[in-house]
Amino acid sequence: MSVPVRRLLALPEWAGTVRVMAGAEGLDRTVALPRPVSDLSPEHTVGAGELVVATGPMPQGDWRIDALLRRVADAAGAGVLLPATALLEGTRRLADRLAVPLLTATSEPLDLLVAARLLLAEPELDRAELVLATHRALGERPRPPEEVVTALATVLRAPVALLDDGGTPVAGELRDPGLVRVAEPVPQRVALDDGVLLAHPVPLPSAPRPALWLATELRGAAAERAESVPQALAVAAGAAQRWLLTHRLELERDARARSALLGDLLRIDGEPGDDLRRRAADAGWRLGGWHVGIRIGTTSAVDNVARGAEVTRALRAVDIDAIVVEHGDGWTAWITVDEEPTATRVRALGKRLRAAHHELRATMGAHMGVGRPHAGPDGLAATVAEASDAARLAATRPESGTFLHVDQLGMAQLLLEWTRTDTFEPAARALLAPLRGQPGDLVRTLATYLDAESSITETAAVLGVHRNTVAARIERVERELGVDLRHRDERLALHLACRTVTLADS
Amino acid sequence: MRIDLADVPALERGVSLLGSGGGGDTVTAAALLRRWLADAAGGAVRLTAARDLPPGTRVVPLGLVGATAVFTEKLPGGGEFRAAVAAIERWTGERADALMSIEVGGLNGVLPLAAAADLRLSYVDADLSGRGLPRLDQLSVAAAGRGLAPVALAEPGGQVLVLADGTPAEIERTVRSFLTGSGGWAVLALAPILAGDLPGCSVLGTTSGALDLGRRVLAAGESPGADRLAAATGGRVLTLGRVLEVAHRMGPGEHGRPGFGRGSVTVTDHATRSLLRLEMENEYLLALRDGEVVASTPDVLAVLDRRTCVPISTEVLRHGTEVAVLQLPAAGFWTDPRHAPALRPRAYGIDSDPVLLR
Repeated sequence: MSVPVRRLLALPEWAGTVRVMAGAEGLDRTVALPRPVSDLSPEHTVGAGELVVATGPMPQGDWRIDALLRRVADAAGAGVLLPATALLEGTRRLADRLAVPLLTATSEPLDLLVAARLLLAEPELDRAELVLATHRALGERPRPPEEVVTALATVLRAPVALLDDGGTPVAGELRDPGLVRVAEPVPQRVALDDGVLLAHPVPLPSAPRPALWLATELRGAAAERAESVPQALAVAAGAAQRWLLTHRLELERDARARSALLGDLLRIDGEPGDDLRRRAADAGWRLGGWHVGIRIGTTSAVDNVARGAEVTRALRAVDIDAIVVEHGDGWTAWITVDEEPTATRVRALGKRLRAAHHELRATMGAHMGVGRPHAGPDGLAATVAEASDAARLAATRPESGTFLHVDQLGMAQLLLEWTRTDTFEPAARALLAPLRGQPGDLVRTLATYLDAESSITETAAVLGVHRNTVAARIERVERELGVDLRHRDERLALHLACRTVTLADS
Repeated sequence: MRIDLADVPALERGVSLLGSGGGGDTVTAAALLRRWLADAAGGAVRLTAARDLPPGTRVVPLGLVGATAVFTEKLPGGGEFRAAVAAIERWTGERADALMSIEVGGLNGVLPLAAAADLRLSYVDADLSGRGLPRLDQLSVAAAGRGLAPVALAEPGGQVLVLADGTPAEIERTVRSFLTGSGGWAVLALAPILAGDLPGCSVLGTTSGALDLGRRVLAAGESPGADRLAAATGGRVLTLGRVLEVAHRMGPGEHGRPGFGRGSVTVTDHATRSLLRLEMENEYLLALRDGEVVASTPDVLAVLDRRTCVPISTEVLRHGTEVAVLQLPAAGFWTDPRHAPALRPRAYGIDSDPVLLR
């Protein structure tokens, strides 16, 4: 910590007793260390930022004052404080020339020294107090994020929030949480208009990115404490990490139990035993009723234990209350209803699932498969198996948006089997040749359009373009090929050709 | 080599420079020398180099001690040289064959020549200081370990004192007390030194050196530039500027006695505006430029009138004077590590290492 010489002059102990005799131009020199010297011996080596406080009696007009001024100037020292003494004109001129503040004091120089040192030590004392207070407030017991945030906000007297790895608050609130650069896993300090934003990462061992960030905004007068707060944040980040680790352990244990239970259920043949029923009931899973299986596959890089909650959230967002189990590289989920769902309801469900899938794809490379409704405990295994097959297929079909519903799947599988012959492919290519090289990706549009049961709306949704664009492209396809897509034979031939060409090209 | 009337101005200028601001004003001594030269056989004094003398030649060092300012007001009666030399001859039982000066810097660079003319003795081109020195215990014989005793003093009131024994410091103290209680100044003569011993305990060639220096400075003319002045004197010009401040104060005393007066001079350099500070006692002892020590005793520090190049002594330098400050190299005797402690800054109570030209 350092302050300008000017700041010391404002100390109550200094004001009125210390006079600036010369070198006023140097009053903005920074004082890092006020040091006492008992005499002016040339042996004393001046350090950078040193304010030399001479405590002994001062021989009048001593040339060593001049030599000391020079050493202070050469060492980027702060200045010289002498007991009150008559100074030579030449000495004062030299202080002016070197811009080294030359001060004299009528009060005890050691008292002035102590006052200056206390001022310089203030930030360190403040910091130590803050760290201790944070430690006392958070203790050693793991606390949930809300408690960590509230306790820290009380200690810091500033808003505090715990952010997830996307920068969104998990607990607490900040005005500008988005300013935290979550991609840089180091403590951060971001200047605000009226203060500073401080953030400290909360890492999990061996994870490449911090799972959480602890951040606070110091605005207005609070910004003065920007030097002291980071250490307190670090202590609180430790508390958040303890909670994270404990919570993670519970999650892992829970995930393993659920995964094992699901495995047992998928393997049953006929009626489940009492023990299995009990375990399912304890987990809150209903085995009776109708089940619709959902499989969400990801890559092994995705931490499916930590991000299970995200999947549940995404499904809830589209009003689907599903059981989600971490299973292999991804999740297996299902919904259970009392009555057999009607075709309309199944279609509506598929639509909502597609929306949820779209949401999940934004943050992870997920593909989704959905099974048909099946009843009873063995129905659960059946629909999950269908969903798994569909998901595997969806992963290889970007044209369906890596989403497949088994209702659409039976036909596709059939087509695939038919077209896997060497003679069909050249014929298919010849059929679609006029569309090649045309602007607007006509082959893909046509394939998607036919996959989507000639629905302009769904084709637009899958391709992510406007429905008018789709309609215009389909018109062009009909024109280029000289076909009428309302004709079922032509539709079938083209659908087969599209599938073959896309598969062969992918 | 002979020194006659025509040499007096150059000699005066040279010894004044070597006085380093001290050594006393040469005007009265030069007037006396002129009178004695007029009376002397051939109007000149013989100046002999130490090496040209037979080694057994007995050389008596002689000079004036005490308040040199009083000397100009209270002129010698005329018998002081003879009385001092006679006293030391009687005490030691040896006849003086030649004279030399105890201190080339200042009036003692001129006055012993008058004594030599008066006593019809030849004069040796050597002295015991090589410059101006404030104390007897700093003389080269003391620094070389020969001691000073015995010492004979003759003051203008007629008193003659012989100090038979004592350390150089004791003799210095006793001589000061004697002078305070008598006429303020006295002629001092030391026991004869054999010419063969001079190279080990004196500074050789100083009178001819001073004469030479004086001639070169006179030849440099009025208001020489820094380069010309440095070339003429073989020294370094520390500043050309105007005296900003002269401050006198009492220096630290010893054993309860007050010390010599201390003082500081600050000169503002015309070209760089840097501040050259001189610390002085009877001589200029230390020079700082902007707080950094740039020159010190035993080198000679001289303050010259900017225009006339006449050296200005410590007690007459005044605020506002246009000056040149000059550093001249010390005599080799004083840079010899065996002798150096006697003249380094700490010998004057100045807490600094020597900073010398070479």
